[in-house]
Amino acid sequence: MTTSTRATWPDAESLWSSNDRALEMARAVLGAADAPVGLTPKELIWRKNKARLYRYARPGPATHRTPVFLILPLINRAYILDLRPGASFVEFLVGEGFDVFLIDWGTPGDEDRALDITTLVTRYLPRAVTAIRKATGKDQVTALGYCIGGALATCFAALHPEVTRNLVLLTAPLDFADAGQFGRMTARGIFPVDRLTETFPTVPGQVPDIGSKLLNPIANYMGTYQRLWQKLGDPDFDVQGWQAMYRWVNDSVPFAGAAFRQWIVEFYQENRLARDMLEMDGRPVRLASIRCPVLNIAASRDQIAPRATTGIVTNRVGSRDASEILIEGGHVGIVVGRTASQNLWPRVGAWLSEHD
Amino acid sequence: MSKTEEASHSTDAFEIWRQLYDANERAWSAALEQAMGSREFGESSGKLLETLLAAQKSVRESMRTYLETMNVPTREDIARLGELVVGLEEKVDQLGDRLDGIEEALRAKRAKSAQ
Repeated sequence: MTTSTRATWPDAESLWSSNDRALEMARAVLGAADAPVGLTPKELIWRKNKARLYRYARPGPATHRTPVFLILPLINRAYILDLRPGASFVEFLVGEGFDVFLIDWGTPGDEDRALDITTLVTRYLPRAVTAIRKATGKDQVTALGYCIGGALATCFAALHPEVTRNLVLLTAPLDFADAGQFGRMTARGIFPVDRLTETFPTVPGQVPDIGSKLLNPIANYMGTYQRLWQKLGDPDFDVQGWQAMYRWVNDSVPFAGAAFRQWIVEFYQENRLARDMLEMDGRPVRLASIRCPVLNIAASRDQIAPRATTGIVTNRVGSRDASEILIEGGHVGIVVGRTASQNLWPRVGAWLSEHD
Repeated sequence: MSKTEEASHSTDAFEIWRQLYDANERAWSAALEQAMGSREFGESSGKLLETLLAAQKSVRESMRTYLETMNVPTREDIARLGELVVGLEEKVDQLGDRLDGIEEALRAKRAKSAQ
């Protein structure tokens, strides 16, 4: 048998099938901005500036005593924890009988250029917790923070141990001594943080977004589309699920200038929290002041919050009940990926039930 | 000719792109990771960002001068108004906090005197 090395023209059927798939791909990408997300019913119970505190509707009274307060990162949309029915951590918690609250930081404008992390931790979070206490009649909450929201939750728990029943951290970077690629990109003398925050009152969401995508540029810029191309050939592929995730990944939020500066300088460059040098409103923020039970969740392949940045909390808090769960996956995948509902969510739910 | 061979000689642009990606993704990623992990890359991207910011700042300043000349409010003017509103809201919140504190103290006092 002879083997031809010449290129063969595709037959008409495969040519049109490929053409159809390309059109489907374009439709999936272009339609992602309208993908329905954040559908679990909720009620607005408190607001301040752009921040909104929501309480998720329950079919009946909560079966657990302690309300769960979800604290989201500043650079991402809040619907990541309530992506879509069946892929929603919020929906899971509500189904397990928890009274769930979430703070959505909203979109800062130029008028928020002076809004820093200290203000969010000392002026916003305590008032949101007061609103939760008034709404539920309970004295304490479980603070559950994701990514930067985890750092905020940690600072809050250190400053307000009297109202923090438990602290749960999802891939929350706290120790920046070895912050990986992000640490190198934002190093003092390299990253022009002052010039950036002088130029932009709110740092465009694309800046941290590009930084995250550059951690794995081929997979993030090309792999996303390559995987979509392959999956579109699978009749069981859930296009809406892909669109919801694609929408979230590309729906970045501007970072208020002062908050961005404080995050880069005090957390990344000076590592003040881990070095016991962080102060907020003249009060020391110390990990040792956290006396409530702590659950720290880390992702094995996390490039945004590498293991070296998340592990510190269990050894340094003042609590005797501090544990860690390491989950196989990446920074976002462990929270909303296909296996999250079998892996992360039930483990967090069980821990919260035990510590209610 | 086998199916694989046939595909590898396909002229379907999408299929060629997919094959190219599959064959090279790991090598490209490793090379980029190594290049971007270096201090030199950090310094170079920092300088690039600084240059872009200088250009952006210059555009913003020109626009502000133009709008001021035309007697049109600038972004800064509107932001200043917004800051005043946000500041007022904070003051109202502080008053609310004080009222809450007074209410709590009164409740505690009443409970103590009832005992």
